Amino acid sequence: MEEMKALTNEPVPNHLKHWWFALGGTPAILFFIQIVTGIFLLFHYVPTPEQAYGSVAKISDEVPFGWYVRSLHKWASELMIVTVMLHMSRVYFTGAYRKPRELNWMLGVIILFVTLGLGFTGYSLIYDQLSYWAAVVGTEIAESTPVVGPLAADFIRGGPEISGNTLTRLYVFHVVIFPALLAGLVALHILIVRLNGVTEFEFEGERRAKHRTFPLFPDHILTETILAILILYVLTMMTIIFPAGLGDRADPLMTPEHIKPEWYFFASFRWLKLTNVYLGVVGQIFFVGVIIAWPFIDKIFENKFPGVELSVWVGFFGFSFYLILTVWEALV
Amino acid sequence: MSLNTKKIVIAVIGLFFLGALLIVGGIESNKRVLGKKAYIKVSATSEDCVSCHTFTSPSLIEQWRDSKHALKGVGCMECHATDPGDKDAWEHEGALVTVVVSPKDCSKCHANENDQFQASHHADAGKIIGSLDNVLAEVVEGNMGRLSLNGQSPAAISGCWQCHGSVVKIMADGRPDPATWPNTGIGRINPDGSKGSCSACHSRHRFSVVVSRQPDSCGKCHMGPDHPQKEIYEESKHGIAFKAFKQDMNLDAQPWRAGIEYSAAPTCATCHMSATEELPVTHDVGMRISWNLRPPVSEKIDAKAIKAGERVVSWEERRENMQAVCMKCHAENYVDGFYLQFDSAINLYDEKYGKPTTSIIKMMKAGKVLTATNFDEELEWTYFYLWHHEGRRARHGASMMAPDYTQWHGFFEVAERFYMHFVPQVRTACEDKIHRGGEVATAAKLVLAELDSILNREEHRWFLGKMPKDEKNRRKLAAEEFEKRYAQ
Repeated sequence: MEEMKALTNEPVPNHLKHWWFALGGTPAILFFIQIVTGIFLLFHYVPTPEQAYGSVAKISDEVPFGWYVRSLHKWASELMIVTVMLHMSRVYFTGAYRKPRELNWMLGVIILFVTLGLGFTGYSLIYDQLSYWAAVVGTEIAESTPVVGPLAADFIRGGPEISGNTLTRLYVFHVVIFPALLAGLVALHILIVRLNGVTEFEFEGERRAKHRTFPLFPDHILTETILAILILYVLTMMTIIFPAGLGDRADPLMTPEHIKPEWYFFASFRWLKLTNVYLGVVGQIFFVGVIIAWPFIDKIFENKFPGVELSVWVGFFGFSFYLILTVWEALV
Repeated sequence: MSLNTKKIVIAVIGLFFLGALLIVGGIESNKRVLGKKAYIKVSATSEDCVSCHTFTSPSLIEQWRDSKHALKGVGCMECHATDPGDKDAWEHEGALVTVVVSPKDCSKCHANENDQFQASHHADAGKIIGSLDNVLAEVVEGNMGRLSLNGQSPAAISGCWQCHGSVVKIMADGRPDPATWPNTGIGRINPDGSKGSCSACHSRHRFSVVVSRQPDSCGKCHMGPDHPQKEIYEESKHGIAFKAFKQDMNLDAQPWRAGIEYSAAPTCATCHMSATEELPVTHDVGMRISWNLRPPVSEKIDAKAIKAGERVVSWEERRENMQAVCMKCHAENYVDGFYLQFDSAINLYDEKYGKPTTSIIKMMKAGKVLTATNFDEELEWTYFYLWHHEGRRARHGASMMAPDYTQWHGFFEVAERFYMHFVPQVRTACEDKIHRGGEVATAAKLVLAELDSILNREEHRWFLGKMPKDEKNRRKLAAEEFEKRYAQ
């Protein structure tokens, strides 16, 4: 019993009293919301080209509280991506990715991409015009990846073209593969945090506390509870003000005038428009590679130019570049 | 933040969250009305109708619930409400309603559709009084006296009027006369003076475009021995493709354009009404028709209006409209070739049978060789069969690519009717009158002379044994070849 208590009630470092250090727990709360709302949506969603759109319309129009659950799922997904990005930024700018936490940083980057994958596949399942064509463009981009591209695109589409198979595959990715992967990765991510211990920070001007830690329960749990209720409140207000909409039924014969992916792919989409497809894809793969390997690249730079906070500048410009491309795509 | 502050914060935002959930509950309950399906919001009066009719006529309510009307909040009273001064106003459970919803009522929201419909031949379908068909239903087949319903012939009530439309009469108690209602004939004349019935094609209470785009909807009236358009369509390549690929027709799409929303097959609506990329949808079904194949002698669709000094869209323009639809699937040469074949079939019927028989009948009526009463002599029935049934079958068959209707149900039967019935009956009737002598005898002689002149025309002279020798020889040789080929 005592062991159990020790295991579950590990002391939490003081700096976690700062709210921005709660950004890691937020996506986990959102992931839980996604699983619950996702299961409810699964009761009614039919993953066939003939019935997908109709079943989404039915969820929105006929199923009791269906519109609410669907809107929660949509907004939680968007918020999840935002908070994963913010959590990453916090970890990045506080240098928490450095030794011995390189592996956890890399896991975190993979978590980000799995989350984006969930966003892409989930959006495609709606099967309205924009969602369908986003899937078409998405798989075409995947096809441009050197060496493995055509194979990967064929695998996602279940053939050389978007078809009924594609919807089935996107569905399987969205409801089985990605959630299972994400659950495993998140568990591993948290386990490594526990093994490494949370990075401890002391802030200038703060009085040195008597205790360097505070209890997980009830202190930190109450903080997380505040967060959980706040998230539910914000999500509910978003569903009331902006309930999830539904465009025209997907029409493979008619390309809409403006194809847009979800906002988190705006930067990638703009980048592709600015370059040619090959450079666009290779550039992005390079970018992803740099993010994953950043703890090691940073180490090399630190050894070569000691005292220069290169990572801050790289992070600032990298993040700004992403924001500029996103806003640019949003405006045109 | 102290533990106590945290607890207070939890309580405060918890309350906010509960408040937000209450709003969610409010939205949800606003989206529901009595019954199974949600997301339907109608006015309070309509809710009263629904609450009662859910039990008295449940399927009607369920059909309405499945309609776009229900989703958009168009309930019972939006269509059935009426003003105290209206002829058909009827007080029902505290509300003033009408059972007859007319195109005028529908036009409150669907003004363009109503305008197009009112200009169409469909809208005038109820004006059949005085037609030969009307005589048949009221006199020949039926009875407006002791075997009638409220003075109307049951043959007309349950037959003609259910397609052409009744003149809906309102009785003293504000309820419609059962002789004239129920009725969904497309040219119904309504108590509010408007013409037509939208539910003729958009069956109530679901009003689904899927129903109106089905060939079966048109087939309710456009079928049978006198105008088998539905059967003709089914025999044609168009109908075969529709049956084979109905699942690809995207029948509920909006808009519904050939070559865009669907491309598997055309239905009646595709060619006569529905939009293409260039053409707007029209509820005037004549806007793409160039021939009027209804009368004994075919005429171009604008002929009547031109005679009456009216300005209407010309038949050429209407044909161009139709050709624009054809060309969503066919090449220009193909379409032009089809129209040449079609026009030549119409010309053949008109010149060989329609005009000659009509001129003979007119002469016989004018010269009193036939009585003034319609359908009291066998020849009148023969003539009626020839143009009204067989002649139309041949013409309609050619108009919509049905070879069997053009040939065996059409021209073959027209020919048999003409040579084996019409000609002998004209001769017998005239000889009988000549035998009796007097003024009628003179008229009968003129008729026989006219018949003789007709039969001596190039297309009929074979019947008199006057086929030219070279043609006779050519046919003899071909027949021998045929016999040899099939060892007959």
